[in-house]
Amino acid sequence: MTGDTTISAGPVAAGRAAGPDAWSAAGQILPVADGRQVRSYVRRVITSRRRELVVVVALYSGATAAGLVAPRMLGDIVNDVTAGTTAGRVDVLAIAIATSLVVQSGLVRFGALAAAKFGEGLLAQLREEFIDRVLGLPLSAVERAGGGDLLSRASRDVSALGQSARFALSATLTAALSVVLTLGAIALDSPLLLLPCLVVVPPVWLGSRWYLRRATAGYLRENAAWAEVIDSLAETTEGARTVEALRLAPARRRRADADMAASYAAERYTLRLRSAFFPIAEASYVLPLAGTLVLGGYAYLRGWCSIGQVTAAALYARALVAPLDELISWLDQLQIGGASLARLLGIAEVAQDRGPDGGVPQGTELAAVGVSHAYLPGREVLRDVSVRISPGERVAIVGPSGAGKSTLGKLLAGIISPSSGDVTVGGASLAGMPLQELRSQVALVTQEHHIFRGTLRENVTLGLTDATDEQVGAALTAVEADGWAAALDGGLDCVVGSGGVRLSAAQSQQVALARLILADPHTLILDEATSLLDPRSARRLERSMAAVLAGRTVVAIAHRLHTGHDADRVIVMADGEIREMGSHRELVAAGGPYAALWRSWHGDPRPVPSSSSPEPVDETVHGAVERSHAQGINGRCPVDD
Amino acid sequence: MAMGVLWGCLWMVAQSIVPAVIGAAVDALISRQTHRFALDCAAVLGLGVITAASGVLRHRCVVGNFLDAAYRTIQLVTDQVSRLGETMVRLVSTGEIVSVAAGDVADIGSVIDMSGRGSGAIAALISTALIMLSRSVPLGLIVLIGAPAMTALVGLLLRPLHRRQHVYREQQGELSARAADIVSGLRVLRGIGGEETFGDRYTDESQQLRRTGVHVAGTESYLFGAEILLPGMFVTAATWLAAHYALHQVIRPGQLVTFYLFAAFLALPLATLTEAADKIVRGYVAASRVTRILQLEPDVADPADPRPSPHPLASLHDPVSGLTTAPGEFLGVAADSADAAVELADRLGRYGTHAGPSPQLAGIPIADLPVSVVRERILVAPADAHLFGGPVRQAVAQAGCAGRGEARDPSTADAALLAAMDVASATDVLDAIPGGLRGRLAGRGRSLSGGQAQRLRLARALIADPEILVLVEPTSAVDAHTEARIARSLRQHRAGRTTIVLTTSPLLLGAADRVVFVRDGQVAAAGTHHELLSVNAAYADAVTRGEDQ
Repeated sequence: MTGDTTISAGPVAAGRAAGPDAWSAAGQILPVADGRQVRSYVRRVITSRRRELVVVVALYSGATAAGLVAPRMLGDIVNDVTAGTTAGRVDVLAIAIATSLVVQSGLVRFGALAAAKFGEGLLAQLREEFIDRVLGLPLSAVERAGGGDLLSRASRDVSALGQSARFALSATLTAALSVVLTLGAIALDSPLLLLPCLVVVPPVWLGSRWYLRRATAGYLRENAAWAEVIDSLAETTEGARTVEALRLAPARRRRADADMAASYAAERYTLRLRSAFFPIAEASYVLPLAGTLVLGGYAYLRGWCSIGQVTAAALYARALVAPLDELISWLDQLQIGGASLARLLGIAEVAQDRGPDGGVPQGTELAAVGVSHAYLPGREVLRDVSVRISPGERVAIVGPSGAGKSTLGKLLAGIISPSSGDVTVGGASLAGMPLQELRSQVALVTQEHHIFRGTLRENVTLGLTDATDEQVGAALTAVEADGWAAALDGGLDCVVGSGGVRLSAAQSQQVALARLILADPHTLILDEATSLLDPRSARRLERSMAAVLAGRTVVAIAHRLHTGHDADRVIVMADGEIREMGSHRELVAAGGPYAALWRSWHGDPRPVPSSSSPEPVDETVHGAVERSHAQGINGRCPVDD
Repeated sequence: MAMGVLWGCLWMVAQSIVPAVIGAAVDALISRQTHRFALDCAAVLGLGVITAASGVLRHRCVVGNFLDAAYRTIQLVTDQVSRLGETMVRLVSTGEIVSVAAGDVADIGSVIDMSGRGSGAIAALISTALIMLSRSVPLGLIVLIGAPAMTALVGLLLRPLHRRQHVYREQQGELSARAADIVSGLRVLRGIGGEETFGDRYTDESQQLRRTGVHVAGTESYLFGAEILLPGMFVTAATWLAAHYALHQVIRPGQLVTFYLFAAFLALPLATLTEAADKIVRGYVAASRVTRILQLEPDVADPADPRPSPHPLASLHDPVSGLTTAPGEFLGVAADSADAAVELADRLGRYGTHAGPSPQLAGIPIADLPVSVVRERILVAPADAHLFGGPVRQAVAQAGCAGRGEARDPSTADAALLAAMDVASATDVLDAIPGGLRGRLAGRGRSLSGGQAQRLRLARALIADPEILVLVEPTSAVDAHTEARIARSLRQHRAGRTTIVLTTSPLLLGAADRVVFVRDGQVAAAGTHHELLSVNAAYADAVTRGEDQ
């Protein structure tokens, strides 16, 4: 019944083989450090902790050496007993063993403490440096990377490294010391009897190399496959209602079986590795013992050495097993730690994207000049867009999905730099501005929101850490959040985010906007920043914010048309271009796509034009507006604005 | 499992005999019996080979059984979660289910592992005891009593350590959550500021964890010392006594070596037994947790005496709100509150328990129909329906496969999928996924924007193609241009089947055959969108979202 599970591993596993590649293409966006970078980093860190490491090595060496006394003493006892000796002599040897034990356990105690200090310190340094690097990531990289890759580095890799730094490093060190010192003890006992132990070095060495080269990847795959099993089950649970509604139970079971088939294939692989390597390793362990006995026996019979020496050597050869075993199993963990370290260090390889060019903004006019942008070469999502936004103007950008609205928003906020053209504020390029300066000029809030683990106050004051309670209160009032904020247990000091009070999506968006109000840049880009609130509250919030933000420039990207209605100017985008531009009134009057949409929104029975996206206008936008004026207002305008 | 026990016993017993053979070899040497000595050496080698072989066979058995148990448990739990469906969310947390896969399964599997190693340990103890007692009864007794005593003593020392390690793990979890928090909110931190605040806090907590770690290690280090000292002293005492026996020729010098090795070796099977006891307790706890989950029953159950499924193209009537749909109608339902809309949808789809009479399908209360019939004929698609990760085709079109689409050939299935994607204006979502239709969707629709996810949900509901489709705010996160496009094509696509759209979007309501305005849970007015807009002020207020205030 060995390995006979009910799951067929074959075809399903093959079908999934394409999966990981697709994942890595989508998920692995940030760089990974190469071997040379990892080694030089490890060298630097170890050098900075050299003193601690020396203490650990010294203590463990002492402990190991003390532990090697007993077999030698036992050999002496055997010698003496065989030769006939006194009880006093035996007592002395027993006391020597006991003394060595006391010394050994004492040194182990201090050694373990020193090793923990070294390991914990090392780990703390590694993880803190990682977070520092993460917090210094360029805006465009953060934008590109998304959450997944970075999140798995922060959680899985940091914890894998923790295992290595806390246990593997010192355990490997101790085991290696044990092996070397035990071999030394055999040499001291009888150099001849060292030979059988050396004989097994080549097979163990080659076998371990073969195994370790494959094992790390195998175990990582095993863990990843099991993580998939867990994740699928979690998804089935979270989506249990959807499973019931769409009758997905058989599909979820197939999915679970497929995941488990992949997991089984991964387990089988590492099992095969172990099945090949473990017998080699175990057989290699027994060879030194048998060899020592044979050679020692021969030498004893020839009179080259005493029975005590043979006994001690045999005991030493047997004692080699444990540290060798330990060494191999921890090397595995060290390799996994190394792979994780490479991923953590990779963050530092992301090139900084802003090179301050010394440009100083003259004024606060935001302008995009001939801006085109492509995330992937050859796939332009924005083509030759030019727009000037006057200080204090309220602009709405509307248009179908995929029109390039959000890309334009990110460009206007300086989060990404255009492939060609330039975005400037007061004549200075956003790309050439230090981050701190950029933030004081323009900020972006998207519908993606995040509440940090911390107090409500901390969550609101990100951009103005020394804000007074009055300022915080005013900002929360401006986003209509004062009501629920006051109702929280502890008010501003209430701990929110994961582990604290969970805020709703709508509340989170309010907090995001309150942050922006406190950060107080002169230009705000709001990309669907109120989309998660119910329509009525969203509109109330926008009006209340407008009062606070009077005088500030606001660019609002929205799918709700009332945002356009409330703005000074509406930009209608489609297919990466600006199709219409003008005030709400002008556009409704112009009778273009915006007007049609507005009409259907307001219950005009005439259908929206059947083309799926607004037609390109061949004249300038202004021309279009003028033309429609000349034609007179066509179509009823139901709003008296 | 029997094979696992057999190999486990062989593996441990082979190891336990080695000390006796080494001792015998030493004695053979001393008495210069070369022939016996050669046999002993061969025995050491042979036992080594047996240990290696039985070790790997035992391991293979254990892994096979372990995985079998783990996978079977996951299959059972997956099926149970699917069976519980909507009830699941209320009865068990996701965390609880995840911990089944992340922990309980391993705990249950470990019991199987211990069956092999544990019985091996017992066999080794017996064989060791027999060998020792045959050499010297008093020495054998001392070792057999002393070694377990030492194991018990070390076990007692472990207790306070477990507590401290628990504190460490908790802090570690906190810190890891902090890192995840920073990474998840990185866009905000880098966009607006606050890196220092959160960076400093991370450093503080990291240093705190470091101190806790060193503190734990302080306790741990005493244990490491004691683990060497206590059994070591016992071995020394036993050896000292054995040496005196040897001196008085009660035992031979080689047997002294054997006793020394035995006293040290016994720690292994004893530790295995301690571990086995612990693992069996954990396995029992884990198994009872899983059993509890497997015994849960869904809220909504089949009636005792189910009535047959009514004729196709049935009308749906809700006596509570007064809502009635004609077969094949595209009905818009505007409710004055979002909660009321969700409750109405749940009642129509028979989700959860509701007061008042059950809605009727062709005059038959749906509570009198088997749940599977209700699910097959009425599909409620809530705004927050879950998007599953996996290959795009499966993630979107699986619903179709469960029903009538099973027999479809792949190209027809793809055509249906693309048609539904087109109706939901979701074809651009495919462009956003590497590989398009052949690509994979990240779990929970993570890689999609809110609008993309919503359009994909709509497409999925359309592919399922139910007789009665209840959509709840299907386009709330979609821009006005796209919403207008969806409104047009949705009606056309659903022609001949009943569609109920609960929404306040004027674009969707404008496309409906008939609109019903639900106020305070009751149908307050009915007509076309435009009629209602002109005659009913409350309706106009609800759907134009206060534009004209």
